[in-house]
Amino acid sequence: MAELVQYLITGIAAGCAYALLGSGLVVIYRVTRVVNFAQGSFAVLAALTVTTLLAAGLPHGLAEALAVLLAAGIGLLIGLVATGKPGTTPQAALIVTLGLGVLAYAVEILLWGDQPRSFPGLGGSTTVLGARLQTHYLLIVAVTAVVLAGTTLLFARTDLGKALTATAADPYAARVIGISVLRMGLLAFALGGALGGLAGVLITPVQQVSFDSDVVLVVNGFSAAILGDLTRPGLTLVGGLLLGIVQALVAGYGSTAYQTEVALIFMLAVLIARAGRRELVEAA
Amino acid sequence: MKWLVLAVAAVLPAVLTRGQLTVYILLGLAAMAVVGLSLLMGYAGQVSLGQASFTAIGAYTAGLLAVHDVPPLLGLVAAPVAAASAAVVVGVPILRLRGHQLAFATLALQLILLSVLGDADWAGGAIGLQGLPYLSAGGVELTGDRDYAYLVLAGVVVTTVIASLLVRSRVGRGLRALATAEVAAEASGVPVGAYRLLVFAVSAAFAGLAGGIYAFYVGYLAPGSFPVLLSIEYVVMAVVGGLGSIAGALLGATLITVVVQVLSTLATRPGMPSYAPSVLSYAVYALLLIAVVLFLPNGIVPALRRKLRRGPERTADRVAA
Repeated sequence: MAELVQYLITGIAAGCAYALLGSGLVVIYRVTRVVNFAQGSFAVLAALTVTTLLAAGLPHGLAEALAVLLAAGIGLLIGLVATGKPGTTPQAALIVTLGLGVLAYAVEILLWGDQPRSFPGLGGSTTVLGARLQTHYLLIVAVTAVVLAGTTLLFARTDLGKALTATAADPYAARVIGISVLRMGLLAFALGGALGGLAGVLITPVQQVSFDSDVVLVVNGFSAAILGDLTRPGLTLVGGLLLGIVQALVAGYGSTAYQTEVALIFMLAVLIARAGRRELVEAA
Repeated sequence: MKWLVLAVAAVLPAVLTRGQLTVYILLGLAAMAVVGLSLLMGYAGQVSLGQASFTAIGAYTAGLLAVHDVPPLLGLVAAPVAAASAAVVVGVPILRLRGHQLAFATLALQLILLSVLGDADWAGGAIGLQGLPYLSAGGVELTGDRDYAYLVLAGVVVTTVIASLLVRSRVGRGLRALATAEVAAEASGVPVGAYRLLVFAVSAAFAGLAGGIYAFYVGYLAPGSFPVLLSIEYVVMAVVGGLGSIAGALLGATLITVVVQVLSTLATRPGMPSYAPSVLSYAVYALLLIAVVLFLPNGIVPALRRKLRRGPERTADRVAA
């Protein structure tokens, strides 16, 4: 029982990180129709930045906040390069973000070297239903809950959120009523960057990060988001949690070797099942 | 022009130094995989981030057969066949996907393959296969770099000829139609699904052949020899040269291999930090890819052609990817 609880909570925590990363993909995709391949780089860049800031003597909390802010700024830059030039199709923008992800490798190795890094998270351990857990796992879950609820409120309750939603629904109509589609797209990229950065900052204390961790991270985030067809934040959260829990159970009761395959096969299955359905719609 | 390039390529192995021959061979191997990928991306209009998995399948097929004492020549023939068969098996379900979905699906398949190879005892696990024999046929053994350079050149010629025959055939015309207007192509009787699967299999076979030659050339294989980054390199080469253009694929592979090689030579000089070569090559891949996609959406070769001819676009005029 204690074992199961432990696996479940570590799985939920990992799932939260996937959901945050996936939500970043969703925000960007909804507003700009661009699938941001560099989404994993936000997490890696933010995590590595925290290691430097902590080493420079900044207190926890501040270091993490600054790193998330930096990720948002980088998100803005990536958005600018990928969508700033008029006439760039979403397909071409996808390849540009792929290139930017590789460029991030160069910057990361230059600044931090190629060895995995980590930093301590929230210390101590808690006992939940007889299972001893690092308190940090609970922090991940709590922060994710607050941030995703905040993002939902932003979209549903504020003018800015409504402008973003309008752009997502119909860019042409949005432009007609005076919304700057490009600016909304950039905002979405910044928000996506912040969400990705937050995922990296939260997960690094329990899972080391190196410059090329972005591939696994973006694949997990995409797997989470694809359950909601890259457009539905609620299903992205469900997808992330599902993925995290299944991975934790597979790693706990089976072998850690098959952890990644679980995410990948889950994603392929969802993709293929959806493609089968869509063909009917397209043909009609 | 074609013959001039071929003549230069044929003379080069005789005059290159040992180190340069290695670059020549790796360049040729990349070119084979990229010609296939360029066909796939240019005509099926899809991004594949898993081309290196077919190189790996080819290499491991040749390698496994060779360590089990099958004549190497048979292993070399089996490499593209195995890669194409694998492409057909996975292609049936995944080629229904489009755009970013196919990109992620191919990436996922490569990650699965790498992980499976890393765990498989029969494939040597993470250590991989060691001590593969040289390629030999009828008592002649290819032992020198120069032999492999000519073998690679032959491979590039074969793949290029097959690709251009395919492009000019009825299938090629059907493909061009489906690349521009899928629904219209389907309505006029082009078997879209079958053709797309065919290009996927052919492009995999090219990568598989490159993998087979690679296995005999280097003599050892590990899952780490075929990282996701290799697939991305192939995409960069195909996009930079120009998708759906065979000359573009060759130019892209050449340009990028040579530039990266020159920069890493500079970066390994004394006094440079140990990470300099990888940092530089990442930066080159990234910046070239971004610049070409944004400013020459069709790639270098189609852009040059248009400049020179100013005539109507003859090759499939594809927006990047």
